[in-house]
Amino acid sequence: MKKQYSTFIWFMGLMGKRLPLYLAAVLVSTLGLAFERIANARIVEAIVSAAQTREAQGLLWSVAITFILFVIARFIWRFGIIHYNIEARRGVATLEKLVFSKAMRLPYAYYEQHHSADFMSRLTFDTERAGDIYSSRLRRLLAAVISSAVYLVPMFCYSWQLTLCLLGVSILSLTVNTLFTTPMKKVGTKLSKQHSVMLEKLTNILAGMELIKVFPMGKTMWADYSASNEAYYGTQVRSAKLTAALESLNALFDLTGALAFLGLGISFISQNRINLGQLTAIYTLYGSFRYVFLEIGLYLPQMMNCIANAERLHAFLQLEEETDHIFQEPNKPEQGYAVTVDNLSFSYEEALPGQKNLLEHLSFKIKENSFVALTGESGCGKSTLTKLLLGFYEPKEGQICICGKDYRGCSKKEIRDMIAYVPQEPYLYGVSIAENIAYGRSAASPEDVPMEDIIAAAKAANAHDFIMELPKGYQTVAGERGNTLSGGEKQRIALARAVLKNAPVLLLDEATSALDSESEKLVNEAIKKVCQNHTTIMIAHRSSTIAMADEVIAIG
Amino acid sequence: MVKKKGKSFVWQAARKHIGLLLSYIALAFVFDQIVIIGNDTIAKAADQILAGQKIALGDLMKTLMTMAFAGAAAAFGKSFCSGKYNAIVQKDVKAGLCRHILVLPLEYFEKSGSGGLMTRLSSDMNEVGRFFSEILPTFLINLITVITVTFYLAKMDILLIVILFASYPLMLIVADRLSKRLAKIVKGFRSRMDDRTQAAYDAIQGITVGRSYNLYDIMKKRLDAIIDDIAVHGWKSTRISSLGWSLKSIITTIPVVGCYFFALHETLIGRITTGEMLAFTVLLGRILSPIGDVVFSMNEFREIGVAFERIQTIFAVQTETGEDAAATIDRTFSQRNIPETDLAVSWENVTFSYQAQHPILKGVSFTAKRGETIAFAGGSGEGKSTIMKLLCGFYPKSSGSFRLFGKEYEAWDIQEARACISLVSQNVFLFPVSVWENVAYGKEHATREEVIEACKNANIHAFIERLPQGYDTLVGERGVRLSGGERQRISIARAFLKDAPILLLDEPTASVDEETEELLQEAIARVSKGRTVLIVAHRLSTIAKADCIYVLKQGVIAEAGGHEELLERHGVYENLMQCGMQNMVHNTEGSSV
Repeated sequence: MKKQYSTFIWFMGLMGKRLPLYLAAVLVSTLGLAFERIANARIVEAIVSAAQTREAQGLLWSVAITFILFVIARFIWRFGIIHYNIEARRGVATLEKLVFSKAMRLPYAYYEQHHSADFMSRLTFDTERAGDIYSSRLRRLLAAVISSAVYLVPMFCYSWQLTLCLLGVSILSLTVNTLFTTPMKKVGTKLSKQHSVMLEKLTNILAGMELIKVFPMGKTMWADYSASNEAYYGTQVRSAKLTAALESLNALFDLTGALAFLGLGISFISQNRINLGQLTAIYTLYGSFRYVFLEIGLYLPQMMNCIANAERLHAFLQLEEETDHIFQEPNKPEQGYAVTVDNLSFSYEEALPGQKNLLEHLSFKIKENSFVALTGESGCGKSTLTKLLLGFYEPKEGQICICGKDYRGCSKKEIRDMIAYVPQEPYLYGVSIAENIAYGRSAASPEDVPMEDIIAAAKAANAHDFIMELPKGYQTVAGERGNTLSGGEKQRIALARAVLKNAPVLLLDEATSALDSESEKLVNEAIKKVCQNHTTIMIAHRSSTIAMADEVIAIG
Repeated sequence: MVKKKGKSFVWQAARKHIGLLLSYIALAFVFDQIVIIGNDTIAKAADQILAGQKIALGDLMKTLMTMAFAGAAAAFGKSFCSGKYNAIVQKDVKAGLCRHILVLPLEYFEKSGSGGLMTRLSSDMNEVGRFFSEILPTFLINLITVITVTFYLAKMDILLIVILFASYPLMLIVADRLSKRLAKIVKGFRSRMDDRTQAAYDAIQGITVGRSYNLYDIMKKRLDAIIDDIAVHGWKSTRISSLGWSLKSIITTIPVVGCYFFALHETLIGRITTGEMLAFTVLLGRILSPIGDVVFSMNEFREIGVAFERIQTIFAVQTETGEDAAATIDRTFSQRNIPETDLAVSWENVTFSYQAQHPILKGVSFTAKRGETIAFAGGSGEGKSTIMKLLCGFYPKSSGSFRLFGKEYEAWDIQEARACISLVSQNVFLFPVSVWENVAYGKEHATREEVIEACKNANIHAFIERLPQGYDTLVGERGVRLSGGERQRISIARAFLKDAPILLLDEPTASVDEETEELLQEAIARVSKGRTVLIVAHRLSTIAKADCIYVLKQGVIAEAGGHEELLERHGVYENLMQCGMQNMVHNTEGSSV
């Protein structure tokens, strides 16, 4: 309960300075609605009493005035509800931005260990459900609380003793309701997890569609999805049961509450603590009070359900981000080398005693503006070395220096600014080719990169000609999997991106391995052009690429 | 509201479980009656107390407690029914969607991103759930209340009904106008949600590039813009819906007040008693809100209608077989129906284009006899991979003739045709499950022994045994990372297990280092034995042994023949090979450095 409370406080705190505005809007809309109801009741009352007294003079006027008040109250409500919604949406947007921002800043290892659906589920399902707190749950609850207070104050004025007793009975029923919060929250957490599993299955299906079609996997995939669908359904039914139990309990309280009133009323009257007039007044008010108070009992557990999602987000936002480990006194590296690696050791897991690290005491030096091929058997740690060079992982031991700077004295951003990286499987974003290339210059926003620069980079990467042949040229949007482009074409776009970055070190991870000989020729030509005044490091196992290098460094 | 009502899958699911909805309505009715009667009883008792009369508290307690428990039971039942109805409809629709997605043509996925599909299966599905658990039941209850109360009122005076419903035409017009505008905004809202999911997915998938290029700010800006836009759509829709609710409350109140005045008039002239007048106001009070809600539910209906439509657009796409998804997925297909013919694959003048103006294949002809190995060579973008896609039936050819075992491809059941084909492609996708499962996907109900046998044949068994959990090691998106060669061999093991007569190899040796290439070549040779092999490759070593090599140039076959024969021709092939040779020469130079 305490944890939920602190989660809730944190969650509301996300709204920052806008929280008072949000709460004020809730208050205004609630009051607007209450006034509208009062105005409505006044109209009915006036007409009914006119019927009883058979006195209809001036009735039309007073009804007309009350009706105008009614309309005003309604528009006060609208004013409140619009502002409330603006603030609520703003809150949800802030939340989404926070979650996304977090999803982009985690240590690299996290991405290697988690399924992409995990992030997607947080960003869609959890934020949507938690966002419900802003956009509906809290308002309903607050509205119920505010209206309860509105009724309680005059009740207390009529007879504080009786009101206190009635309030006691109501609070008792509310307490029973709160017993549901824990199981409700559990169900909420479970639903959220199961949803994430389902989304994972779906993304797998989408990603592996070609294989599913060629191999007899459709049935298995469907059965697999259905199983998690059934599990989710099971939890949903459980949630429905809980909600139903809660509602049934509230229905029970509704009538027993009325009974309690009768009993208490009779005893108070017989003891002469209260007169009939007061009892009548309290009775009218209590009818309305009971109704809104029961709503608290209903909405509170529902909100707990959403707080479970908020908690998941909270935990996610607490994850440690990728940090810069900057030491005050980095070693002074030798100058004249683009990259030096000294006594580097690394392994992904804690090495067991007697077990060797993946990279063990590796040392090499790469001269400025040279072209170096890194070779080694598959699984010897070539790609791992790339990740260390990019600062995705921290070395366990040893030192890496780039352009005369020790990694330990640099921020991750500084390190990465010095490297233009071309991965083995080029990734193109779902934006235009021009923008994909423009990403090379990350300091500027993509629109600000001059088209001439993009074209020049594409020309250097031997990509210009085929891009111009595309129906929309540079404005062609790379499909989700870049499907309209061949591997060689994608690779050349990735290379153009690296060219535009114009970093001192060009790092190519088996950039030509998946290409046919003609594309390979084009890419290799491009690399030769680019590497003139850059240091080029190429992870390679193909002799043809190794042949381009000035020097070969074998690993492992 | 919801178009294509008859065809809508969501409605089918909703109809199938209609019993739950009906029980909900019945129980809700019972519950309402209990509450009304219970409150009446209490009101009467209270009146008696207030009038100073004695009441039989014991009897009253008994009836009220019975009512309380009956009411509680009814409340449980109604709430459970609506909750379960929501859950079960959602479940059915999700299952149906997933099943349908599995048998959609590949083209669909290449055109529409996964972001849209993901939001549909989570966010839109939520909306559907809200419709069945909240909006529809409330609407029905309101409708029933309005109808019953109207009957009561009609019995009193038919003129009341006329006054009461006088504002209906106006309300309908207002509601219709507003809800149409609302639906438009909601549509924009939802499609921006797709964009959001897509952009986020894009950023996560491309995290390696994003990180090495310091793209954090750019990615954040891209997504933030969409998120802000979603919020703006949200505000706009609130403006309209709140205006709707305001107008509703005003428009409904006016005739109700009119009715009060009418009743007052009737009372004053003595046509009805004051008591009747009171009963009348109570009744009117009960339908004051439902009467407008029924009409203004249109807002919500149209809003949810957007989600319905978006889901339905997936169901509306025809499956690959043109049949029902359920039928397609449940069928087991075998290779038994392969016609007895010597000709495995024959193409005559096949053309193909993704977009009409840009033909990829401009008339390709070739034949592959049973047991033959044929290869396709050519530069990038000349149409090699497209041939593979057509062979797998991912796209239909535009014209020409494509026969599989002598039978036109279109005449085949697509799944049976695929049963004859195994595919080993360039970028092997591994599902994030165990190695064992990844191989076992090759054959339904594959046994452990079969899987191991296949892995041995594919030269990958020894490697798998060395993995931390052996065959149970997780691979794929968050498992052990495997090199290109290891993935290739896993996919060859899968092909072994499938044991199809035709084997398609799409650049199988592309991303493989030289040490393991030998292992892979051996595995390929083994899996090719006794099968018809169609291979796309640029590595000389893979092509040279083919029975016939087809050289593609700009969508047509420029040359065809054996390796030696083509080299003698001094044409495109020789040119291609020279590129390769140059690399080979570099290769020798390289090793001498």
